Amino acid sequence: MELAQLTQDLETLAAETATALAGAPDVASLDALEVDVLGKKGRLTGVLRGIGALPVDDRPKVGAVANRVRAGIEAEIAERRAVLGSAELDARLAAETIDVTMPGRPFRHGSLHPSIESMFEIARIFGQFGFVVHESPEIEDDLTNFQDLNIPPDHPARDLWDTLYVDIPGHLLRTHTSPGQLHVMRTMQPPIRALLPGRCFRYEAIDASHGSEFFQVEGIMVDEGTTMGDLRGLLDEFAHAMFGAGKRTRFRPGYYPFTEPSVAFDVECLVCGGPGCPACGRSGWMTILGAGMIHPVVLRRGGLDPERYQGFAFGMGPERISMLRHRITDLRLFLENDVRFLGQFR
Amino acid sequence: MRVPLSWLREFVDVDLAPEDLAARLTLLGMEVKGIERRGTDWANVVVGELLAVEKHPNADRLSLTRVNMGSGEPLEIVCGATNIAVGQRVPVALPGAVLPGNRRIERTEKMGVVSNGMLCSGDELGLNADADGILILAPETPLGAKLADLYGDVVLDVDVKPNRGDALSILGIAREVAALTGGTVRMPAIEVADTGEPIEGRLTVRVDDERLCPRFVGRWVDGVTVRPSPDWVQMRLLAAGIRPISNVVDASNYVMVELGKPIHTFDAAAVARDGSGRAGIVVRPAAAGERLETLDHVDRALDPEALLIADANGPLGIAGVMGGAASEVSNATPAVIVESAIFDPVSIRRTAFRFALRSEASLRFEKGQEFRLARVGADRTAQLILAWAGGSVARGAVDTHPEEPTPRRVAFRPARVDRLLGTSLGVDAQRAVLERVGIETEVSAGPIGVAIAAGPTPESVPAGAGHAVLATIPTWRRDIEIEADLAEEIARIHGYEEVPPRRPSTQMPAWRETPLAARDALRGALAGAGLTEVVSYALVSARMIEAFAWTVDDRPAAGEAAREGAPVTVTNPLSMDHSILRQSLVGSLVEVVDTNARHGQTDLAIFEVGKGYGRVGDDSREWWRLGLAFAGAMEPPAWNRPRREADIEDAKGAIELVAGLLGSGVPKYTPLGDEPILHPGRSASVESRFADGSLAIAGVVGELHPRLAEAWDLRAHRVVVAELSVAGLAGGSLTPERSVPLPRFQPIERDLTVDVPDRVAAAAVTDAVSAAGGSALEDTTLVGTYRGHPLGPDERSLTFRLRFGAPDRAVGEAEIDAAIGTISDALRENIGARIRS
Ligand SMILES: [Zn+2]
Repeated sequence: MELAQLTQDLETLAAETATALAGAPDVASLDALEVDVLGKKGRLTGVLRGIGALPVDDRPKVGAVANRVRAGIEAEIAERRAVLGSAELDARLAAETIDVTMPGRPFRHGSLHPSIESMFEIARIFGQFGFVVHESPEIEDDLTNFQDLNIPPDHPARDLWDTLYVDIPGHLLRTHTSPGQLHVMRTMQPPIRALLPGRCFRYEAIDASHGSEFFQVEGIMVDEGTTMGDLRGLLDEFAHAMFGAGKRTRFRPGYYPFTEPSVAFDVECLVCGGPGCPACGRSGWMTILGAGMIHPVVLRRGGLDPERYQGFAFGMGPERISMLRHRITDLRLFLENDVRFLGQFR
Repeated sequence: MRVPLSWLREFVDVDLAPEDLAARLTLLGMEVKGIERRGTDWANVVVGELLAVEKHPNADRLSLTRVNMGSGEPLEIVCGATNIAVGQRVPVALPGAVLPGNRRIERTEKMGVVSNGMLCSGDELGLNADADGILILAPETPLGAKLADLYGDVVLDVDVKPNRGDALSILGIAREVAALTGGTVRMPAIEVADTGEPIEGRLTVRVDDERLCPRFVGRWVDGVTVRPSPDWVQMRLLAAGIRPISNVVDASNYVMVELGKPIHTFDAAAVARDGSGRAGIVVRPAAAGERLETLDHVDRALDPEALLIADANGPLGIAGVMGGAASEVSNATPAVIVESAIFDPVSIRRTAFRFALRSEASLRFEKGQEFRLARVGADRTAQLILAWAGGSVARGAVDTHPEEPTPRRVAFRPARVDRLLGTSLGVDAQRAVLERVGIETEVSAGPIGVAIAAGPTPESVPAGAGHAVLATIPTWRRDIEIEADLAEEIARIHGYEEVPPRRPSTQMPAWRETPLAARDALRGALAGAGLTEVVSYALVSARMIEAFAWTVDDRPAAGEAAREGAPVTVTNPLSMDHSILRQSLVGSLVEVVDTNARHGQTDLAIFEVGKGYGRVGDDSREWWRLGLAFAGAMEPPAWNRPRREADIEDAKGAIELVAGLLGSGVPKYTPLGDEPILHPGRSASVESRFADGSLAIAGVVGELHPRLAEAWDLRAHRVVVAELSVAGLAGGSLTPERSVPLPRFQPIERDLTVDVPDRVAAAAVTDAVSAAGGSALEDTTLVGTYRGHPLGPDERSLTFRLRFGAPDRAVGEAEIDAAIGTISDALRENIGARIRS
């Protein structure tokens, strides 16, 4: 074999390959061509097999040509592959196009009940102020639900709590979470900051603003220097957390036998913001909770010395808070469990 | 308490607009719930005089009247009422008037005659409920006057709290107004011209038990003429919400509203006389078997709990609650006995409840009465009867306890008050504030006891000389008994809004675990998984208790209370639908499914975290449970997927989700079979255990039994329910997940298909695979089932994906082959399974 012949064969291979490359319709034929020309058993290897017959001096010359031809073919293949590949991708993408305006595959969305959510939200807010949650029974005795809260039998204040009694002697369904105050005072030592959420019951006909079953959250704070001013300060913070920073609040006398002084706490009407509207009975205010300084009798019955300790308690209805926040106008919705209502609280 | 401002102004000057007065009373603790303007609907209503009342020419039932309006031509007005007569003065709505209910009055033709307006009934004016006849006004009512000018008023509806019985009166509210304006309260001049015979010859009163009736004051009025009260009295009572009856009865009601003193009046002729011809009244408990027909004409059986006003012949009335029909004041009553008494509040309250006769009077008695008022009320009533019904008042009064008590004195420590309120008012400011509500004070010169608790367990603490102030409480303020009461009074009059707010800066209590943590996490996970949280009534019907009583044994999860005891029944239920505390959640959830189905919402996945309740002896039990219910489509159809019905696997999936949350083992299901609430072939008991073997979840899951669904007329085709005790519901937090190192060597998976008879439960096969698999078998998951050719009719094949691996080495093919061989042998021998290759 002569050097010239071998060089000629290499150039021929390069030319033929270039022609074949130009005619390759797709990446697959390009791949086949690459194997055919550059593969281990390909034509380039075939041509170079003749190199062994050349004189030793000529071999590097052929090597140089071979390398140039290989590099040229590789470059051409790469270039051609890029062109063909891009066209193929374009075609595939075009073929895969879908109508992206169609709606998605729906997930189920669950929801959390607004009474419980509101109750837990209240607990979360007061948790930030160091209040711990404590729960007590729903079936209470008269002593704890009333008498130890400074409400003797046949006291006119009992009118405030129409009561459902049960067939366990001396027992009833708790009418409020306030008995929890006593449970807390009897189990914790001051300083006490506790929150008492839970279900309550009343002998009350069900209408848009009354229910026979509802939830309540009671709070209690007792130590040696807790004042009515602290109560106001804390409730202001709560109102801001729950209804929005800067909401105006109002502190006025209320009445509970187990607090003295007793407090009613209002927040500016969330609907009209003050001037008065039907939602707030034209007063510009909405009452959100009752509170007061714990009555000395209650402290004593809770096992604390009323001369040493003082503190406050407050109680609110999570449904009422929820009604104010979500503009719900009928309390009955909370226990009807209509999923069209519940599903709104995601 | 309805407070007509015209009445209030007789007692105190009011310069404030009604809204401002309402706002300030509210801030004083006398919450004004509403402001009613009476007479705004009477714009074109004036007083007219009937000149003629003739039959309507074309209608038998109508009259044609001519009405003198005081000026201008008389008007012809057609009227349908029958109580009218010539000479009467009546309210006339002229054309253009708009009466309550937006009723427009126009000049109209009625049966061929033009009517120039309308004669009004009390009902049409919104004055009272009398719709039968025209409101006949007093003859002296000025002709042509606007009714609104005569009887229009503004009425405040004040929510008087139970401790302020004294404020259930115009006088009491006037005192509050005076406290906030600095004005003076004007008492009416209470002077009785008692020029008749001495009362000693007319009336005797004997009280058997002074504790039940500490004071009884009687007055006697002879020769009364019982007829309607003057119009202004009737209008005033109507504005205060009291129905006028007759001048005598109205006088007693007037005094009740004005002074807060309930008064009863008797027909003196109905009271038995003693040997000297004196009417003898006895106040005594009823004897067993006694009966009385009360004013409402109900014949009532009495018992010794009831306190009676009686005479020698028997009961005349139930003290403080309701009079008797036989002694009711009527048109024929010649003489009247006025009863103004103080009764034991508890006795009155019990009796009023017992007979379901709670009235304006009993409400006031229940709250306790100022002792003085017994005498004042008797005198005032006699004075008004004399003025409105004539006659003569017997001289003097019968009074069983004429000595007036000395005012109560309550000590307080101004420093303590400031410490409670968080104020720095000091002694002088506190004393000045109390002065405004008539509480006189003096600094105690010597040591003194300060009452800090009253009632059944009174308590008092010593205060050194000069540290306490002694307050003399006006006799009407029965609510102020201890130091804290004065603290409230000081805060109230000073203004709650003046208490400086302060963020609490006292010591923070120690951290304590919240009982809500696990409950909250579980709720969040289930809602996130697409379930809707519901809250249903704890009180349910007897029928539901019966139908949904689990027979399967209850196993509480670790730390949870057991379901135990008999159902707890409400003894005074509002409705039988809510009369027994539930013992399980499923019934409530099924009901939620059903009510939603009736609204057209048939696809439901719901949960409730709620309590069951029971009674063991005289103790109550409460236990937390998680309830689940699924009905309709779990995946409603969409354009890109078919509808998928909810089934038991969805409920199990939710349970497995909870197990994952708790970090407990994969739940195990065991066929239940014999629970009547559930489908015998589609129900299982569930348990999932923590690593230490304690129960994390225990309960049941299954399809509602079709018979139960039918009995409850359920709209839903199939309902899947579960009720579970879950560790942490009653309290406690979730255990933190314990992380395991990720595998360093790639695990290898192999599928194994096993043909088994149907009677072999999948769980049994899984257990057998796990038991035989050796240490390298990390996980066994059922990935497919198959029925049909070439299997027999009662066979199915189960395909498991087995994962082999080890933390410290690569598991080789040979080891896996050997393990699968062992598993296959075990399945063949122990379960009779065929292994496919
Ligand atoms: Zn408003």
